[in-house]
Amino acid sequence: MNLVSTDIPRRDPAQVMRLSRLGSLHQCRLSFMRQLTRRMARENWAFMRPVFEIDENGVGHAVYTAQGPDRAYSLVAFAHDLPPEQRSDRVIAEAWDATFALFDGIPTEQDIQRLSQNVPLQEAGRVSESELSLSRANRSVRLWKHVVDRLAAGQQPDLEQIHKVGYLMRTTAVYGSGKFGAADREKIANRPELHAPFQAEMLSVYLTRTFVRDLVQHMALAKGGMQTADLDPEIAQWLGIGNSTGLGMAPFIVNHPVLFNNWIMTREEALARVRSLQTASEDEARHFREIYDRSKLSMSWWRSEHPVQIEKLASLNADLAAINSYLDQNDLTQDHPWDRLIRWSETALGEEGQELLASLVLEPYGDLVDGLTGCMADGNAQAQVINGGMTVDQVRTAIQDRFGWALDLEWSAEANCARAWYVSEEKLEPRLGERFEEPIAEYEQPIAPARDAALAYADLENWQDDRSIAEFLLRHPEHRHTIRRAQIGLVAPYGELRDNTISAGVMPIDMLRAKLSFFGATHFDPRSDRWVRICMYAGAPYPEDLNAKTADLWVYPELSQ
Amino acid sequence: MNVSLNEVEATAKRATRGAGYSWGLAEEAAKATRWLCAHGQNGTGALAQLLQLDLASTPKTHAPSDLSGEWQSENQLCPLVTGALLSDCAHRLNSSPISIRNVAVPALLLPFAANAARFLATCVSVDYDHALAETDGFDLSLDAPIPDRAHQVSVHLGGQLTAPAPHRTRAEPDPTDWTVLNRFAHRTYAPATEESRLRGAGAGLSDND
Repeated sequence: MNLVSTDIPRRDPAQVMRLSRLGSLHQCRLSFMRQLTRRMARENWAFMRPVFEIDENGVGHAVYTAQGPDRAYSLVAFAHDLPPEQRSDRVIAEAWDATFALFDGIPTEQDIQRLSQNVPLQEAGRVSESELSLSRANRSVRLWKHVVDRLAAGQQPDLEQIHKVGYLMRTTAVYGSGKFGAADREKIANRPELHAPFQAEMLSVYLTRTFVRDLVQHMALAKGGMQTADLDPEIAQWLGIGNSTGLGMAPFIVNHPVLFNNWIMTREEALARVRSLQTASEDEARHFREIYDRSKLSMSWWRSEHPVQIEKLASLNADLAAINSYLDQNDLTQDHPWDRLIRWSETALGEEGQELLASLVLEPYGDLVDGLTGCMADGNAQAQVINGGMTVDQVRTAIQDRFGWALDLEWSAEANCARAWYVSEEKLEPRLGERFEEPIAEYEQPIAPARDAALAYADLENWQDDRSIAEFLLRHPEHRHTIRRAQIGLVAPYGELRDNTISAGVMPIDMLRAKLSFFGATHFDPRSDRWVRICMYAGAPYPEDLNAKTADLWVYPELSQ
Repeated sequence: MNVSLNEVEATAKRATRGAGYSWGLAEEAAKATRWLCAHGQNGTGALAQLLQLDLASTPKTHAPSDLSGEWQSENQLCPLVTGALLSDCAHRLNSSPISIRNVAVPALLLPFAANAARFLATCVSVDYDHALAETDGFDLSLDAPIPDRAHQVSVHLGGQLTAPAPHRTRAEPDPTDWTVLNRFAHRTYAPATEESRLRGAGAGLSDND
């Protein structure tokens, strides 16, 4: 991480890494979607649709190619005619409205033939080292029908309805990194365009959005014939791609502490840099105010029927009112304006509002913070190797620093360990169960770092300070994963959640939102405590409109609209 | 079949856990198996062979009992336990070689010697009964196939890396070995029940809205 003088330090991990706060994160200019669209515009990527062979029933395939400076990537899309009773966003689904692979390069006829026999099967098929991701999507039945019917009748769809749902299709899984035979992350990690996290997946979703727009027009034409209207580009822009995400993402952030640290620490460093500015120019202050107003419009479209989210939205709306009046009364150019704003937010706002501001104050400062995006990948494989020469005392201190809050918790109390994370034999779907009600404890996954830290700490207390941790581990192999995490914590201060992931009250959606916010997702709409729908790329330019002017701030709708 | 190294790692981790090892050792086994495959060795075969020995059911008798002097136990040593210890004790190689007696599937020690080499930023050599392996942590050079069981192993600093094995980006596990690993991995999956199906994922089964 480059050193830029920062008088204001990064926020304390003990403050940042609470689940309720992570569950209140908002996208920012470091988000992976915005990194991708900025790069594609800057490098003048070209986009083509060499194949679109889809029949009047909506069955067939299409290829969308994105050509960067050195390499091309192609989305190979398969469209299916799915009976409604098979439409499920669960991992255990076995058929979808559309299935996709991101191909590394430009596929030949044989490649497409091979993919056509595997991609529609998803987990039950195999892809190869030539594929970078595997994904699928289902229609939002209501909005799909509305848009097809309107266009077929020669009319435009109702923008209100589009804002309400946000997308025509939602992906229900986007697999990358070697899953189901695809290329490993190592194959692409050193390519500048895919070095940052999840760029292949984000590109796949970006191209999927274009495919879905083209498909809905195609289906409207099949229905309406000559009288069919062309979808107005101004309306099409507000069609994002949804994503329906379950528990798989929660173990991900526990299992990748260095990677997760790098995301959080990058945002914290960016925030510290901006807070350290003594003054802001009139332009910078104006830019912030404009982006804030535009973000309010986006959030006004955000709906949820989930009680927890309704409460969070109410809190966010109250925070927005408070921010409005702060901005009316305060100058943003003098006297450490951003630090003042953040410090005020900590006294006056809930976590939703605090984290919204922490994201928004970065907006005027691309030059100061965008370079940090190069720090968000995990290139530190050696961090996984335990340093056995460390003493028992040093490891105890490391555990105490991160898990001090957990060491005195009564871990055998039912409320503190009510849940257990496990993997079902049913398509290996990740699930969360009730330890005291279901026979799952023996299948528990190691997704409870705080409890495990307390257990290891208790055993370490019986060992002499100066013994090596190697000796301890020989006698206590059951603590090996915990000792590894404790050492990783020394290089990854933001890698560890400061909350109990197996308590009776844990909200897994907080973990999902933390990850999805870094993707750049908006419109978090939890369907339960462990399942969330979100929107991606709503407002983004389609490939033909992608340029330096449109590439970055699309996530904030223009007020004139 | 041709699989990604990520699949090797994920399968090896679950299999090792399924065979009764701790999560921490399962993580070690996963990285070790992947490292062997990435260096052209039959990592999945080695792990499948080891797990079928069922050493995890009597762990103490397959772990070095004492760290002073030669590492040994009343039974053959488990290469995952011994390998992890070797990696943990990398700093000791600076003062003297480490001698190990009677190790099962000793190919699995190599990735841990590679950890030590990277940790110490130097070459590490592993002398088996009739084979010599050298690694700087990134490359591996072997002068003969590694036996299924070693009576005597010596790990020491130094080595030449005379003929580094080419790196691989994919693995081609023997189908029988892959089946064995998946059978062990299956033990970590909770049986499907209707209750878990409806409650555990927190979402309904239909998506028609």
